[in-house]
Amino acid sequence: MWYPLRKLGLLLLTAWAAITLNFLLPRLMPGTPADAAIAKLAQNGPVDPATRAAIEAQLGVPTGDTWSQYVQYLGNVAHLDFGVSYTFFPQSVSSLVMNALPWTLVMVGLVTIVAFILGTLLGVLAAWKRGTWLDTLPTLGGTFTSAFPYFWTALLLVFFLGYTLKWFPTSGAYGLESTPNLSLAFIGDAIGHAWLPALTILVTSVGGWILGMRNNMINTLGDDYVTFAEANGLRTRTVAVKYAARNAILPNLTGFGLALGGVVGGSLLVEQVFNYPGVGYLLFNAVTNQDFPLMQALFLMITISILLANFLVDILYGLLDPRTRR
Amino acid sequence: MSLLEANNLSVIYEPRGAEPTYAVKNASFSLERGEFVGLVGESGSGKSTLGFAVTRLAKAPARISQGTILFDGRDIASMDEEELRKQRQGGFAMVLQSGMNALNPVRSIRKHFGDIFAAHDHVPKSKRLARAYELVEKVELPRDVLDRFPGELSGGMRQRVSIALALSLEPQLMVFDEPTTALDVLVQHAVMGTIRELQKSENFTALLISHDLGVVLESTSRVMVMSEGVIVEDGTSEQILHDPQHEYTQMLLGHYADPRAEVVEVPGLLVRGSTISLTGHDTVLGVVSPADGDPVTAAPSAPATPVRRRAGRPDAAAIVVDDVSKVYPRPRRGSDPVTAVDHVSFTLEPGQSMALVGASGSGKSTLAKLITGVERPTSGTIHFGEARVDRLRRTGLRDLRREVQMVFQDPYSALNPLHTVEYALMRPVLNYTDLRGAAARTRVLELLDTVGLTPVEQFAAKLPHQLSGGQRQRVVIARALACDPQVIIADEPVSMLDVSLRAGVLALLDGLRVTFGVSMLYITHDLLSARLVTDQIMVLNQGRVVESGQTAQVLRFPQDPYTMQLLEAIPQPQRAGAGR
Repeated sequence: MWYPLRKLGLLLLTAWAAITLNFLLPRLMPGTPADAAIAKLAQNGPVDPATRAAIEAQLGVPTGDTWSQYVQYLGNVAHLDFGVSYTFFPQSVSSLVMNALPWTLVMVGLVTIVAFILGTLLGVLAAWKRGTWLDTLPTLGGTFTSAFPYFWTALLLVFFLGYTLKWFPTSGAYGLESTPNLSLAFIGDAIGHAWLPALTILVTSVGGWILGMRNNMINTLGDDYVTFAEANGLRTRTVAVKYAARNAILPNLTGFGLALGGVVGGSLLVEQVFNYPGVGYLLFNAVTNQDFPLMQALFLMITISILLANFLVDILYGLLDPRTRR
Repeated sequence: MSLLEANNLSVIYEPRGAEPTYAVKNASFSLERGEFVGLVGESGSGKSTLGFAVTRLAKAPARISQGTILFDGRDIASMDEEELRKQRQGGFAMVLQSGMNALNPVRSIRKHFGDIFAAHDHVPKSKRLARAYELVEKVELPRDVLDRFPGELSGGMRQRVSIALALSLEPQLMVFDEPTTALDVLVQHAVMGTIRELQKSENFTALLISHDLGVVLESTSRVMVMSEGVIVEDGTSEQILHDPQHEYTQMLLGHYADPRAEVVEVPGLLVRGSTISLTGHDTVLGVVSPADGDPVTAAPSAPATPVRRRAGRPDAAAIVVDDVSKVYPRPRRGSDPVTAVDHVSFTLEPGQSMALVGASGSGKSTLAKLITGVERPTSGTIHFGEARVDRLRRTGLRDLRREVQMVFQDPYSALNPLHTVEYALMRPVLNYTDLRGAAARTRVLELLDTVGLTPVEQFAAKLPHQLSGGQRQRVVIARALACDPQVIIADEPVSMLDVSLRAGVLALLDGLRVTFGVSMLYITHDLLSARLVTDQIMVLNQGRVVESGQTAQVLRFPQDPYTMQLLEAIPQPQRAGAGR
């Protein structure tokens, strides 16, 4: 029982550190957001007190000492209140994030899991059938596709599958004429739109999993416990799955955890290319428009989700590898 | 009909992009039912390859290139995989060399048994658990071992589990490939005892593969000796022991001696006779009068005029260890702190050689770390001359390392595989001496000459993988000598080397003491080598010194039960047949 509790403690500690850093970093910069905005306006001429008051009212001026600000900030974070977006005024940051998050979570999240499972299976097969075409094809293919840049793969897929063959729509998360709801028609529409970005991510990321798993598996196949299992005449499938692959997958879990944590950050390039309204797209907008409240909230969310994913992987490790449970 | 009959068996290694080599050449032999046969050879002799071939475990790039293996009358050399798999129940089983890693780290022992029963279905489901209990009890393990994971068991327990798993196949032939090599001396002794008993009670045919002729002769009735892929001798254990025919067998036997004997002699080493002071058991360490040296041995304890190059360097100093303890914090929750070294005191005088012996976990390597300043003692002091080793910081440690150098156990991992020998030796020369440029290179070549790696120019340019184990260990010794140290701490320097190479490395270490006046702390579990190269000895058990004195005295007339136990555990060819 100690192991998960210890990991949970570590998670809470690092999350607190991340939140505190997120609070401190902007305050280490001189001036307030209002000062920055007014300075920008002042380049075009004097700013009258009314304008100054309006800007200060809009962006807020820090009140109280840093400690009470910190307490207030912690309270806001607990209520998921990250203020108002500059770019999409008057929408609140949290509503923007909540609108973008489902798209990213479902599309990028699913495809990350699928890529991991597919890559792992192909890697196991490649190592087990080493030297045959079952090895050469995924290994060479994986090396090849994992070297593709995202945007290039995206353009190719758009051109062939979207433009030439007209199988899938080429941009957006749903048709222009529909509004998001939970009807079957809309979900079908959304799935149709998700194909191209999902395929792009799959093609570029599956190769890494194949190669990683194949290499791990070739190592474990050379381990003594595999030889001993063969010497004891265990069934071929048992040796391949429960002895070789079961141990080979352990080092890959860390990578998978990081990939899962990264899902929340969205796939910036892919979402940009396909105008997909996910978190990556939102983040890109926030950065280009210097939308600090939005950026701050997104960075915090990405950090926390990576921490969470790592926590889950640690727990998974504890279940899968008795050596870590001590 | 023999149980196993190999005819003209050859195994070829065909690595990609390299010349194929024959690891086993035209081997023909047979194993009779119920026989316990040994297969002895050095590393690279092809003995393990042969073991893997007769159990059909040889994997690419190894391949059986010709010959037949008749097991119970059927040729298994050309049998297909699935048929072979079924043959393994009630057929032939194998226990691997590194039993430490022979178990799947993420599966409980119970599941290991379950996998075997499920694969062969030779035990009805309702009786499987009872059978597993019976098997672990046969190898003298408690029943609850079934609920453990391999990582929770010690090396000896893991090897016992491997044996129980192999037994669960109810094999007619058991092949043991170096079953105890990775284990501690005392554990090795116990596991070999279990193997012998099982062989008698279960009456399987056994093939014991080992580099240690002593271990083999103790257990087997017949021995095959292998050298360079060829079985060069095949005879009863008595024949091999008393009348070895092949020179290779003779050489192997020549390296065995009883450390308890009055005079111990091994080819290539100076004889150390009975250097016992008649005053009886001498417990005062560090006091060696020249009178102790037997005049015949020509191995004086303190050299008359050591050749030294230490101009402007401090004079020889003693290492004084005073009441030193080292306690490691609790390794995990709920367990106790580990006292690795427990109130140890001794003095290593200049030019003296002292052995530090004990089973693994006795604290000998920890003591080495304390003396070299790698770790600090929990209590007590260590002096080297004027310096307090336990308090040294950066520059102090640097000065210490100029005088105190280590030779490590594993020559295969002590050298960076990417750098040439010259580079490895140049580093300490540049770091610890004022020699630069051509002078530094000259020093490197001189070092190679000192450790007998000639022609020096050729060896300087080589990479570690181009050297044999013995040659690598010589490079490691040369590296330790580079800064002309006063003290060398050798941590099991020959335990990874073949028997034939050991004497050479030991002679080198011993010679350094004689010619350069280097004092040596020789850490080992091998009492024979301790007897051969040291004058003083300390026996450690669980961090405490249980016995100390002159090496010959302590080993010939041990007082402490632990020392006696260690001596008893040494494989003795002379005990051939005693186990049967």
